[in-house]
Amino acid sequence: MTAATLLTIAEYWLIIGAICAAVFLTFGIDRIDEDARGSYIFRPLLVPGVMLIWPLVLWRWQVLERERDNWKLRHLPERKAHTAIWSALCLVLPLIVLLGLAVRQTPPDGAPIKLEEAR
Amino acid sequence: MSVKYIPVQWNTNKWIYDIVLILSVGIYLWIFIEWGPVLLDHGKPVTPQIHNARAFGSCAFLMLTLILCIGPAARLNQKFLPLLYNRRHFGVLTLFVALTHVGYILDWYYAFSPTPKLEGVLTANTSFGRVLGFPFEVFGIFGLVVLLLLAVTSHDFWLKFLTPRLWKRLHMLLYPAYAALVAHVALGALQDQTSPWRAIFILFSAGGVTALHAAAFLKEARSETTVSLNDWITVCDADDIEDGFARVVRLENGERVAVFRSGESFSAISNACAHQNGPLGEGRIVDGCVTCPWHGFQYRVSDGCSPEPFTERVPTYNLALDGAKIMLNPDANPPGTPTTPVSLGENGK
Amino acid sequence: MSENRTPFFVGYLSAPKGLRSFLLVSIVSMLLFFAGVGWLLATTQPDPGSAGFLPGRQTLIGVLENKPYPMLHVTEGSNRISTGTTVLLSGGGKRGVQSRGKDLEGAVVRISGQALARGDLQMIQLRGGMQGLADMSDTEAPGIDVEDLGKWRLQGEICDGKCLAGAMRPGTGLAHKACANLCLTGGVPPVFVSSQPVEGSEFLLVGNANGEPLTEQLLDYTALFVEAEGRIERRGSLLVFLMDPTTVRPLP
Repeated sequence: MTAATLLTIAEYWLIIGAICAAVFLTFGIDRIDEDARGSYIFRPLLVPGVMLIWPLVLWRWQVLERERDNWKLRHLPERKAHTAIWSALCLVLPLIVLLGLAVRQTPPDGAPIKLEEAR
Repeated sequence: MSVKYIPVQWNTNKWIYDIVLILSVGIYLWIFIEWGPVLLDHGKPVTPQIHNARAFGSCAFLMLTLILCIGPAARLNQKFLPLLYNRRHFGVLTLFVALTHVGYILDWYYAFSPTPKLEGVLTANTSFGRVLGFPFEVFGIFGLVVLLLLAVTSHDFWLKFLTPRLWKRLHMLLYPAYAALVAHVALGALQDQTSPWRAIFILFSAGGVTALHAAAFLKEARSETTVSLNDWITVCDADDIEDGFARVVRLENGERVAVFRSGESFSAISNACAHQNGPLGEGRIVDGCVTCPWHGFQYRVSDGCSPEPFTERVPTYNLALDGAKIMLNPDANPPGTPTTPVSLGENGK
Repeated sequence: MSENRTPFFVGYLSAPKGLRSFLLVSIVSMLLFFAGVGWLLATTQPDPGSAGFLPGRQTLIGVLENKPYPMLHVTEGSNRISTGTTVLLSGGGKRGVQSRGKDLEGAVVRISGQALARGDLQMIQLRGGMQGLADMSDTEAPGIDVEDLGKWRLQGEICDGKCLAGAMRPGTGLAHKACANLCLTGGVPPVFVSSQPVEGSEFLLVGNANGEPLTEQLLDYTALFVEAEGRIERRGSLLVFLMDPTTVRPLP
């Protein structure tokens, strides 16, 4: 895949996101969050977020519309993953720095070597 | 909070926090950009665009390192909680500093070329097969995208909409992003330096963050006990809980319960704040309400509801006394369910 | 027991008394810390060297040679570029001038543009159109001395000639690698910076063994310290390293 294709995909992602943001922020948000009703100034702040994670927004929107939200999950913090990630990072972070130091080159000072005389 | 959303909720402490932040960043950039060339006194100075890219890039890395230190520092010592209070503004400012760094790089290293700038970022260096000369820019791109994602989803609306759990999952991307940014500087800026200070800076940053997280983890592992799910669980002796404070119980299914003492009576609510899942059990009772140590969200101990006009609710749990022992029913009640506090002197299940 | 507890901070209330001095110390430490790290990282940057654009516009007459990369053997110099020197040519930004002089190989041309220099490495960034490169092929072109200097093994760094000559300071090193590659793919001549001078010069224009351009094979090796072998020729005043790309290897 070429870089140009990747950039085009990213562009379309954001365009779809912008459409979702327009729909969600003009009427969807009022349906699923009572704190948003009658409050408009904060909405432009949400536009970039919706543009980036619009699939997640659409999914959460339909969950809330159908009132299928699991209240238990709201109060179950993701602390196991936190521990797992940091256990890994405690190894990975020092390794990355050491790798960077290990491959570091010092400016060469070797003299040019003549392998063959001039013709 | 559950009054109408506004763009940014500022208060005196947040103003102080933001002013200190902006001053710190300002001083860093002022010294680096204005005084750097004077103090260096090179025959011909580093090109300003490159000099500025270095200033903003190193500043963003320093900021991110500090942000990652706040969490474990606050767990190790609650005195650091005020630094956590407005951490989101710290993150958003970091994004702006990082974006400025990227702006200088794009408009200089990737400008003036027949290849379009963004395409150039992806195609100029394709040495993916080697460590030395690896296109370290890709690590930077990942870090930047994550910072952007976190900044644009930092409004409280997102916490409520996505649920704190999903929001936190999203925001935990910051950890791999930091690893990527360490790689970004270790394979980029670190390679071009003859003075040891850049290496020392990177070592201390990555090492400090690592050590703090390890220490906080060890402290937490020692202080918590997990209990298996029986009908009723023994929490502790009633006298083991200090007035106004809580004892946290971790259930086998991963839930944490905060058992609070208010005078002579005891109540249990979920340990996870409805706002950002902050640890309520590490908070205290202020004005009759459990107060979250992170952002000060409050809940009545008896029913897990925030006082008017707020509408946050957390699950509650039923308690009973068995002699002097506090017993907990591990089945959570739906958020906001009233319970009857148990009092010393009262008896039985 | 309560007295031993940390004072409790609630964000929307004023900070508790017991915490104020701690917070004040934190604020001052934070400001000092940022100032200190800024000062430390700013003042330990390596010297980027004395390369740069020379003031004023240079107009030169000389013999154009296109391979491996466009260069001019100056027959009528200016106050800054003396007659008899050989200068590399580039276009504006990260562009070469291969297409502009392709029909004028070996002919006398008049060029005009901005000069860049780093030591004895000189480059002219041509102005656009006829003003930058004008055909003077009715003037008879003098012969240009080409001297074979034998086959060598060199250590050093492959850079793009333009940033190296002072379009950027520093125009070397890994942080600059992507820029160097963009310059090279745009047609800017690659230059080998030798660890020690070879026959009097530490900067050598790079071509392949047949004297043709060598851009693609170099891209994985730019901005690293490498070792490479090849014949060296002196063309006019410029050394050309006719590198065998299979001998290039990064130094440990």
